[in-house]
Amino acid sequence: MGLEYVKISPGFEKYMPKDYVDLVKYGQFGKQIDVQQIDQIKELVEEHPMCAGCYMAYFVRIFYASLPKPEDTIVLGTAGCARLALSQAAVPFIYGNYGDTNAVASGLKRALSIRFPDKIKDVVVVAGDGGLMDIGFGMTMHSWFRREKFTTIMVDNEVYGNTGGQESGMSPKGVQLKMAPKGKKFDKINAVELAKTAGCVYVAKLAPTNPKRIAKTIKRAILAARELGPTFIHVYTSCNIEYSIPTERVLADAKEREKNDFGFYEWMTDEAKEYLEEQEKKMAEAKT
Amino acid sequence: MPEQKVVETDYLLLEAPRERKFITGSQAMAEAVKRANVDIAIAYPITPQSETMHLVGDLWAQGYLKDYYRAEEEYGAMSAIAGAVRGGARAFTATSGPGLLRGLEAIASWPGHRIPAVLGVLTRVVNAPLSIQPDNVEISYLMNCGMVVLHAENQQDVFDFTLASFAISEMVDVYLPIAVCTEGFFVTHAKGYVNMTPEDMKLPPRDPYKAPVPPTDCEIPPARIQRDAPVQKSNFMSYLIHQVWQQEVWSSNMRAMKYIYKYLNGPIEVINPDAEVFVAASGCAAAQAREAVRYAQMEGLNVGLLKIKSIVPFPSKEVRETLKNAKAIIVPEHNIVGWLAKEIKANIPNSDNVIGRPRVYGGMTLPVELIMDEIYAALGIKKDKTVLV
Amino acid sequence: MAKIITPGPSGYVPTPAVFEGVQITPPGKALLYGEWVDEETAMREAALAMLTRKNPTIFPGPLVLWGYNASAIEKAQAVLELAKEIPNCRIIPMPDYRPKYPKINPEAEINPNHPNLTILHNRIEACIFVGVHCHYANLSLRMIRAGTNCFTIALCAEMGHEDAMVSIRDVHAEKILELRDMVIKVREELGIKWEPKLPPENPSLPKEHFETLNIADYGDYAYLLHPRKGETVEETE
Repeated sequence: MGLEYVKISPGFEKYMPKDYVDLVKYGQFGKQIDVQQIDQIKELVEEHPMCAGCYMAYFVRIFYASLPKPEDTIVLGTAGCARLALSQAAVPFIYGNYGDTNAVASGLKRALSIRFPDKIKDVVVVAGDGGLMDIGFGMTMHSWFRREKFTTIMVDNEVYGNTGGQESGMSPKGVQLKMAPKGKKFDKINAVELAKTAGCVYVAKLAPTNPKRIAKTIKRAILAARELGPTFIHVYTSCNIEYSIPTERVLADAKEREKNDFGFYEWMTDEAKEYLEEQEKKMAEAKT
Repeated sequence: MPEQKVVETDYLLLEAPRERKFITGSQAMAEAVKRANVDIAIAYPITPQSETMHLVGDLWAQGYLKDYYRAEEEYGAMSAIAGAVRGGARAFTATSGPGLLRGLEAIASWPGHRIPAVLGVLTRVVNAPLSIQPDNVEISYLMNCGMVVLHAENQQDVFDFTLASFAISEMVDVYLPIAVCTEGFFVTHAKGYVNMTPEDMKLPPRDPYKAPVPPTDCEIPPARIQRDAPVQKSNFMSYLIHQVWQQEVWSSNMRAMKYIYKYLNGPIEVINPDAEVFVAASGCAAAQAREAVRYAQMEGLNVGLLKIKSIVPFPSKEVRETLKNAKAIIVPEHNIVGWLAKEIKANIPNSDNVIGRPRVYGGMTLPVELIMDEIYAALGIKKDKTVLV
Repeated sequence: MAKIITPGPSGYVPTPAVFEGVQITPPGKALLYGEWVDEETAMREAALAMLTRKNPTIFPGPLVLWGYNASAIEKAQAVLELAKEIPNCRIIPMPDYRPKYPKINPEAEINPNHPNLTILHNRIEACIFVGVHCHYANLSLRMIRAGTNCFTIALCAEMGHEDAMVSIRDVHAEKILELRDMVIKVREELGIKWEPKLPPENPSLPKEHFETLNIADYGDYAYLLHPRKGETVEETE
């Protein structure tokens, strides 16, 4: 609807808690911010209960700072660590049931398209490896087969962190975790190739070492989903608790994984490429 | 399709002219959907529900609905319904037996998420062993999740209950999903006379802002919205929130009763209120019970019918009042567990008078003679056993 | 008159008013202690509570606090008009419904997931809910009745609330001003002297200086915001 619903009623500015006043005044609603401005703006997510040194928490923060249109964005999550931070942000968040994100997002996006055919309403799923590739696998894949117009971001910590460290389909082969006391017997699921095969128009894989590139990737995925079809980003967000990564080594670990199996990868259809180039040109022109 | 005009809810449900048609239960449900100004329907096949959702798909193809698709499976379908309704759309789906159980985790969460959707439940056997035949044991699974559960006796009920459910579910003080249940095959695939409102009239569209919770559409404050926040105990939460939340669901459920009175002529129907023996039944069993009461009256026996339309909220007061002088209460059912008999027993003081028979299941029909046998037994009339099979 | 719904504490597990048989009123009627009465009677009792009980407070919800349309702005103005007339009234907002980490400041806001904290901390014995979506208002009203002795008044834009001591339905700006007039009337009857005055400001969280926040404040993680000198980053603007 524009920004009216994030404006304080006249006369009530002095009765609002400070954090809301600041959010309206210094927040990113209605603004196009560069992720490097994160130190100058009031972020959509401030405090969260995730573990110290959690890399997923960092990614979630960058994610919110990268939204192209936060005032018209709805985020969906499911059980797991990410929702602890996702649910503390200043944009609508839906927490449904176990692994249902991509089915709920399908219904939601269709309802919004029916009701607001001429408005931008971005729907973004941010769920874990367990939510998207194990329990919600069928719904994830089918939302792609149906070419539902929303973005799916998998925050892959290679473990069920929130329930105490069990093996997931995305855990690397051989890793010893709970429910895999003799080590995992099969390979990490190749989510990126699945996404490509299933019909995503934009697919990326990254380790969050470069905030500008993360922001650009997220923006691209959301823009392409608006017009063209499903988009998918696979992000490595280590669990420093279950994988015993000392807090000061979390960044180094991400860089190491980037060198090995999480090198930046981006793939898109020709149509998406053309569309994004056009959009990015427009955005660049608007800036200058 | 004819151009449909929006008319007031009360007019459509209570006053609009009606035309008599001879149609199946599946058709009756689809005809109600046609008049309900539904935005989106999501389908997943299962016998005997499929036909209903085929017909609803045709409605979409004709332009009555704005969106429709075949989901990946029931859990996905029920989750997508929750998404669509959160987004402000009016949504419909239907399922049967094992499909209901597969979708039940999502369905059971609808009331807490405050999802006013209408769910057709066209009952069948719950496996194993596999069978597609009628049996309504699945309704017992629905009774404890907070949604409103109506049980239709025939094609007319299916039409009336379905159409009214869209209106009732979206009332600000209710705002819960409603299950319209009826027996697969016996009702869905059999024809009956249905008096229907005109095809060119429909309910007003859903107004998602007239609601006890904001829709998730980025159009209404608060921006920082989460209707269904995880509320587990931590340093910033207490269990009390979940307790009062559950209370709110069940309070809302009870508030639906006044609309059941308004639009469905009350939660019960009684024939011969001064009867000595009552046959109390719901759904298809009520049709057989009605027949048994007619037989009994022809034989000069003082037998009455208590048909229960609303299973949840259960009309405790009404049932108690109706049955207060009954010497015997016969409860015929299409399931082995006897959920209706248990519910009646739990709600009346003279529960010893409840006879939880006859029960048929697994696809068996419910011959009127079985009910008659119970009536004779209750009245102390000796008859020779009839062999039916 | 039998009072079914009275100020708490009603106990560990509060029985919802609906379970006790309290029903929402038809238009034009109001709920007072769970009974149907005319609006004037209910407003009088509400005014009396706000004038005589300790620490009267108005809890405006999102539909008043956020000026998303003309009617919300008008309603917000009316709430301020009402607040002015209640001696030593406070305004504590409910800006949204989500649980908030790590915790709320009970002097600065009220949250429907634990409204009792704000009531108990501020020793509020009479309050008005306005502009809160019904579901969340009902949760709050019930929790407050469970664990506090607060007299609750619900000014509802829809059908009303069984769990409030006073519930008035279909309330928009106009009806709020009617309540204000009733407050003035009852105040004068009671002989309470009061010059209309806006409640004190939100004694909020310490000011955060975003303007002066420095990259160095991010410590080791500053690196994530600005790549090191000489480091080449491919594929960025």
